[in-house]
Amino acid sequence: MDRLHSLEESLPSSPLHWKRFRVHFAIIIFLLFIPAFVKSIYVIDLLIVCNVWAVFLSSWDLLTGYTGQISFGHSLFIGGGAYTAGFLSFYLGVPFWVTIPLGGCVAAILGFGLGMPALRLKGPYLALATFAASAVLHGLSAVFWEYSGGEDGLYGVAPLTRDYVVKYYWSVILMVLCSGFLLFLVNSQYGLILKSIREDESGAEASGINVTKYKVLTFVMSGFLAGVAGAFYGHAQMHVGTDLLSLHLSIMVVLMSVAGGMGTIVGPIVAGYLLILLNEWLRVIEVVRVLIYSFSVVLILLFIPKGIVPTIISGVEALINKMKFQSGS
Amino acid sequence: MDALLQVEGLAKRFGGLDAVFDLDFTVEAGEIMGMIGPNGAGKTTVFNLLTGFLEPTKGDITFKGENIVNRKPNQIVDRGISRTFQIVRPFLNMTVLENVLVPLQAPKNRKVNKGRMENQRRAAGLLEQVELADKMLLLAADLSHGDLKRLEVARSLAAKPDLLLLDEPFSGLATKEISALSDLIKNLNDDGLTIILIEHKLRELMKLVKRVITLNFGVKIADGTPEEIAKNEAVIEAYLGKGGERFVTS
Repeated sequence: MDRLHSLEESLPSSPLHWKRFRVHFAIIIFLLFIPAFVKSIYVIDLLIVCNVWAVFLSSWDLLTGYTGQISFGHSLFIGGGAYTAGFLSFYLGVPFWVTIPLGGCVAAILGFGLGMPALRLKGPYLALATFAASAVLHGLSAVFWEYSGGEDGLYGVAPLTRDYVVKYYWSVILMVLCSGFLLFLVNSQYGLILKSIREDESGAEASGINVTKYKVLTFVMSGFLAGVAGAFYGHAQMHVGTDLLSLHLSIMVVLMSVAGGMGTIVGPIVAGYLLILLNEWLRVIEVVRVLIYSFSVVLILLFIPKGIVPTIISGVEALINKMKFQSGS
Repeated sequence: MDALLQVEGLAKRFGGLDAVFDLDFTVEAGEIMGMIGPNGAGKTTVFNLLTGFLEPTKGDITFKGENIVNRKPNQIVDRGISRTFQIVRPFLNMTVLENVLVPLQAPKNRKVNKGRMENQRRAAGLLEQVELADKMLLLAADLSHGDLKRLEVARSLAAKPDLLLLDEPFSGLATKEISALSDLIKNLNDDGLTIILIEHKLRELMKLVKRVITLNFGVKIADGTPEEIAKNEAVIEAYLGKGGERFVTS
């Protein structure tokens, strides 16, 4: 009985306990207070972009970081959601509170469409298939240029609001809801299943897990969230263009997420803020901006391959352990 | 006793090679049976066919009265057959505890799912059974080969099987570890769990099992008690070599 009791005591507490999210809550409160002391429209607009990118990146992390389904085609979902909202708003005058969820739904359907054939593919083959799928949508936008606006895209998508501060708060709500949902998901028992699929699909199947179901479901959820964020972005910018369907966007999503720390949800979000802000800050030296930005990303990947957030966390943990050891001795 | 598993005319052809050919055998509920044969005899292929990782070319597999051919691996786990792998397949970047928590999310277990803490207690209990409870918060990647073998046993037990298939559980283990795992397998069988073991460590296998079937080139060449198998001319010629009785002496 003593043995059982000591075993129970050493069991980890629930990963969903609110105390584990104290830093997250503090960051949200900080984000909520930003408009109180930042009056620059340019900075607020930049933070809106960061908030939307946080959803792009964290939704990719669910699919690739957690479930191991390597995707180089996240622009399929982002652009799919954005163009759905753009078409509905531009041609039919549908309000944003309808177009944004519908954008998510269309991207979820695209996720299902991509997830089914992707079940037969793994590793680089899956990456190529996702890349090819996103290229199809990009190609379609060129074929039907009369409707899509071709390379220029659609200008005149209805704005979310004319008030920058309100728009900023909308973006914070989007980011908090989406990333909060993802954090809940990956820390729940569902997250264990996703991780087991990433680690070893045969092992997961031998454990009784319906790998097919969970892989397709993850494609659908990741697609939905990226689509919602894409649709929001279209309304926020009052424009949807082929940049939202481009390979460049997909690659940036992969790079930023890996730099932040795959399989953490928070890592890609943090990297999104840091790298987008770095990119903007470097505009003061425009000639060498791309060079310095790319070099910074390479350095991160080279020296902290685990990613920014996991490296910071393990560094802080090591420091705390050292301090405990020293105070103990 | 009732036949828990009935295999009839099972065959698997890879291109021009018959990996398993016209295999028949039954396993009674509560039985512990060994499956032996030289490398490439088709033993692991049989396990893969029984657990849905491969589809048979022909034949029937009846488990608890239901034909399970063409069922997916997870559906077969749900029906009560669980397995370990010859080359271990742990979830390396998950903790030992999390490895055992995964099968507790399978539909069969979810029906009685009582939340994470209860699942953790159950997983810790299983890890205690395989003497890994002290390492439950370590990453599986940090375990020794012997520990990983025991972790696989715990993971397959978490799926609450009626039939447990163990593919070379003793390979790569030290004598002491084999002895501990052997005791665990015996206890599980004493508790009523039906077990089929593939094993090349024949001395240990023969001590454990009541019956052995022998495969050679995908064909069953013998089926009998360990003593009968040790004396069987076909088995001696194909696998054991002269003096096969040495494997059944205690």
